[in-house]
Amino acid sequence: MAFLEVSCLKKIYTTRLGGSQVRALSNVSFSAEQGEYAAIMGESGSGKTTLLNILAALDKPTGGRVILDGMDLGQIKDREITTFRRENLGFVFQDFNLLDTFNLKDNILLPLVLGRKGIQEMTDSLLPIAQKLGIRDILEKYPYEVSGGQKQRAAVARALITTPKLILADEPTGALDSRSANDLLDLLEEINRDGQTILMVTHSARAASRAGRVLFIKDGEVYHQIYRGNSTNEQMYQKISDTLTLLATGGEIR
Amino acid sequence: MKYGFYTKLAFTNIRKNRRIYVPYVFTCILTVMMYYLVRSLSVNPGLKEMYGGYSIASTLRLGTFVIGVFALIFLFYTNSFLMKRRQKEFGVFNILGMEKKHLARMILTETVLVTVISLGLGLGSGILFDKVMFLLICKLVGAEISLGFFVSGGVILSTVKLFCGIYLIIYLRAVYTVQVNDPIELLRGSSTGEREPKTKGLLALAGAVCLGTGYGIAVTVKNPVASMGLFFVAVILVIIGTYLVFTAGSIVILKLLRRNRKFYYQPRHFISVSGMIYRMKQNAAGLANICILCTMVLVMLSSTTSLILGREDMIHGRYPNDFIIHSDRSVADQNERLFRRLEEICKEEGISTENKVEYSYLLFMAEQQGSWFETDEQKLHIERDFSKFCSLFFIPLSDYNAYSGEKQVLEGDETLLFSNYEPYEKPVLGVFDREYQISGYLEEFFGNGASDTNVITSYYLVVTDEEFGRLVEISSGNGEESCAEQVYYGFDTPVSSKRQEALEDRIMSEMSGGEYGDDFETHLETRVENRNDFMGIYGGLFFLGLFLGVLFIMAAVLIIYYKQISEGYEDRERFEIMQKVGMTQTEVKQTIRSQVLMVFFLPIVMAGIHIAFAFTIIKLLLAVIGMVNVKLYLLCTIAAFLVFAVLYVIIYSLTARTYYKIVRR
Repeated sequence: MAFLEVSCLKKIYTTRLGGSQVRALSNVSFSAEQGEYAAIMGESGSGKTTLLNILAALDKPTGGRVILDGMDLGQIKDREITTFRRENLGFVFQDFNLLDTFNLKDNILLPLVLGRKGIQEMTDSLLPIAQKLGIRDILEKYPYEVSGGQKQRAAVARALITTPKLILADEPTGALDSRSANDLLDLLEEINRDGQTILMVTHSARAASRAGRVLFIKDGEVYHQIYRGNSTNEQMYQKISDTLTLLATGGEIR
Repeated sequence: MKYGFYTKLAFTNIRKNRRIYVPYVFTCILTVMMYYLVRSLSVNPGLKEMYGGYSIASTLRLGTFVIGVFALIFLFYTNSFLMKRRQKEFGVFNILGMEKKHLARMILTETVLVTVISLGLGLGSGILFDKVMFLLICKLVGAEISLGFFVSGGVILSTVKLFCGIYLIIYLRAVYTVQVNDPIELLRGSSTGEREPKTKGLLALAGAVCLGTGYGIAVTVKNPVASMGLFFVAVILVIIGTYLVFTAGSIVILKLLRRNRKFYYQPRHFISVSGMIYRMKQNAAGLANICILCTMVLVMLSSTTSLILGREDMIHGRYPNDFIIHSDRSVADQNERLFRRLEEICKEEGISTENKVEYSYLLFMAEQQGSWFETDEQKLHIERDFSKFCSLFFIPLSDYNAYSGEKQVLEGDETLLFSNYEPYEKPVLGVFDREYQISGYLEEFFGNGASDTNVITSYYLVVTDEEFGRLVEISSGNGEESCAEQVYYGFDTPVSSKRQEALEDRIMSEMSGGEYGDDFETHLETRVENRNDFMGIYGGLFFLGLFLGVLFIMAAVLIIYYKQISEGYEDRERFEIMQKVGMTQTEVKQTIRSQVLMVFFLPIVMAGIHIAFAFTIIKLLLAVIGMVNVKLYLLCTIAAFLVFAVLYVIIYSLTARTYYKIVRR
């Protein structure tokens, strides 16, 4: 069995009044191996965010299953879901979601504090990560005192500190300038090389071109997949662009 | 655009923002009502016909002023909060093509709407309650007059004028904020990042010192006269201290907590402490204000309540008998004639008398210098240290024994001593040319009621009749002013106050009849007359205390409510992030509870501490006006605090619920 197994995922929203139904995901199946770096692409309304919410256990699917490392997300009790999320998943958001009232260090430590870990353990895990992400010198600073790139690196550190099974990144480069975006993508690649499984949702072909595999979602289904194989980043970028063009013009994949 | 458009828009806006507008409009209505009520009571013609009506009217006029100022500050504050919340909305309107002048017109229409609603409903309910309140105050004072429904056009007009003025100021401010901000800034509203407050260790220390000194003064003060001046010093120190402790001290404490890693890195403390640091930056002054308001209200309520409830004690302390005559002792014959005549009058009226007291006394003002008492007026330095001042009463032994039924024996310069405040602990007491040996202390004394006996320390000395005679000679050679040679004559009667009043009138006419010669100086005091005056003064104070109390509670609570709601919107984002990062719903709830609890109860807990420390000094101040029943005052304080706390808890639970709803979304 694969590390992450998504099978026949279906999500139907019923509007509160009138009862008309909106099909966000109709049938999504894919799997990912441990240590993979996969990107999910798709237009607005294609169901990307719904998929990510379900993977993050923030939302429940109408049908189908998500199995992460042998655990069925649908079987986890409501009470334990937060703990599950905290211990197994790491999140990186487009708008960083750092708390203004904490300095970077405390922002990074937040999941550990919520998990009631000891101080020694916190310090032990914080320093190597901060070192790796190059934010060791700014740990005492507050989010409003540092740049966007630094904020996002702190957010990545926060996602990594619990050594999660899976990192879910939602448009991580969306709020960054191209330089910081490149730096961040380098960083994600490096983390992935260390064995971290990453799932990234993005609009940006540039960001997706760094992943090992790109999944395209259209109208609630996995429409196409591209594997990197031996391609360079540039070749990968080209492939993604072609696919996006096809998607937009509605052509068939040959 | 048509006029109707703005009216419609204003209605829609208020309805859309009802969560913040309903409490605001409610506050406006209440404030208008309160103002109208106090103002109309103060000019009610019926008040002047009542006993002590004049003093009530003047206290109420003062109250009117206080409420007016308060209304301005409070409504201005609540509105500025409201507008801050709506900035984003204005930004959207602005971007959608409404010009600043259109926005101004929209705000104007809204303001007019609020003005009309609050004035209409406020005045309506004010007029309605007016009658109720007036009956209440009459009952309180015990006057038996009921007045017709009283509506004063002048008062309505001045209320309308005042509040229109207040709303105009509010409107101008709102327009100003819209005018100076560009659309993007409006859109962003209050979401710009706040900097962490600086640590001001020195100020925090100063605050602690102020508070400590204020408390120290309040606790250690012993003399009621000295306490008057010191009270204000203590109050000012405590006010300054409260501000500093809330603003600087709280930050210092929170940062110290944050530095304690064991404490800080626990889920609940982690979020509360860091959140509170920011919260205190914005709220410290407001919380300090609330704390001081609470303290004032509680002091006012507890002291006036204990005055009202303890009024009989006070009257009995000040007037040892129902009827009291102080007369010059030198005209012994006339005195004797008058007292016998009084007995006849009572018999004629069929009024029984009891507890008859008659004794002579000499009263000297003196300045205590160790065991020596200086009575020479030239050497008295009353302005220098009033607390050293005391009154010395000399009473002949025969009069004392006759009254008390005891058979005390004194010889030569021996004396029996009674002190109303500070115990006299030295074995001798020197005055004039003599040192009196204190042979015993009296447990109690029938009292004199001379007007200042309750303010400064009074020593009552029982001396032999020969010694008393010698003192009379000394005093007459000493000039008249610093001493008085008097006879006290008093009796009680069980009859109704109506009959007592009639008796008083009869005695007055008897005394002023000229039968006893022109130089005959007597002074009649009755409890029944003073009871009415007393209620006139303190009934009004009590009423005002209650009134302002309700107003301040309302204010304090609404300020906190607004604060919480406004922070709820800011905190929503934070809690969302925390939930995404792995905080459970229960943890969110707990954290919210502990944060709201802290903000809510910090002021009232602090107020409780203030009151506890102020207890001693207020007890002494009350003693100055004759209220010496400490137990009653203690009970009143506790009761006032509990009532306050219960109200507070109710509002707290409402606020916490609304806050949680906002945060959870």
